[in-house]
Amino acid sequence: MSLTHLIRSIPSLLLILSIAVPVLAAEPMEAIKKTTDKILSVVTNPALKPPSKTAEKEKLIRQAVDERFDWEEMARRSLATHWAKRTPEERKEFVRLFSDLLERTYMKKVEDYSGEKVLYEGETKDGDYATVKVKIVTKKNKDIPVEYRLKKEGNNWLIYDVSIEGVSLVNNYRTQFNSIISQSSYENMVKRLKEKVELK
Amino acid sequence: MKKFDLELAVGLFILAGIVCLGYLSIKLGKMEIVGERGYEIYGIFSNVGGLKVGSSVEIAGVNVGRVKSITLKNYQANVVLNLPKGLNVQEDAIVSVKTKGLVGEKYIEIAPGGSEKLIQPGGRIRETQPTIDMEELISKFIFGKI
Repeated sequence: MSLTHLIRSIPSLLLILSIAVPVLAAEPMEAIKKTTDKILSVVTNPALKPPSKTAEKEKLIRQAVDERFDWEEMARRSLATHWAKRTPEERKEFVRLFSDLLERTYMKKVEDYSGEKVLYEGETKDGDYATVKVKIVTKKNKDIPVEYRLKKEGNNWLIYDVSIEGVSLVNNYRTQFNSIISQSSYENMVKRLKEKVELK
Repeated sequence: MKKFDLELAVGLFILAGIVCLGYLSIKLGKMEIVGERGYEIYGIFSNVGGLKVGSSVEIAGVNVGRVKSITLKNYQANVVLNLPKGLNVQEDAIVSVKTKGLVGEKYIEIAPGGSEKLIQPGGRIRETQPTIDMEELISKFIFGKI
């Protein structure tokens, strides 16, 4: 191939690349895999093992999770019918509390990682929505089926719900928030959330 | 003349009996004579574990509709729900297969969402939750401990 040929082929090559890259980035399973690998690399990093490094480790995990989870969507879905009645400030506060609550609840479990395997089983796409099925195999060879539900935001796939053993996280919180709010009030629920988040 | 009256009375009585029987069988069999009222939406479940056609659909424990059909589609359950007109189901509503008590009958529970978008008649419920297999969970709990 002569040099002129090569130079002429550059624009078309660039065009192919520019099409190929976003498509690749838009695969929901790839997105889940990337985030999982990122978190696993943090929890298995021997340099972050000592207790003095816990804060740094937690920050890195939180960063990786923040990138992939759509907190606002999750909070909105969890609050469900009560979301519409809240002011923008209340919503903002609730989204922050909700993400902190999940962090408090699950951070310890993530840090306790001890060599469980993650198997990627497949994805189904439906327009702007997708589900990714994952199986976590414990050291005792027990399978835990996990299902991520994602929504496309721009060029990125973000998680808005996680089902473990067929039990949805959003539905769990939706039921709890709903029963607290209907028994007392939204303010009372926020108070309880705050106590829980600050307790640790 | 007198005999004719008696026969008429018996005939009317039997007719009334047949009408009552018809009414009862339609009521008990949950059939609809004047077409289906309300509208339909469907959802794909990975496991419905014994849900039956005619099972109730509930919101906050209140019976609002029933399961119209259950068919297999790509090795998954395609469940069609019949809901009354005017009952709106939001796009982010979560529909799950639940069990009455520990070993009771199966029914569908809708947890209303907060989205402004509604599921249109004939539309699909995206957020579905399969039934929880109690036996499997118990066995996991038992054997997971060792």
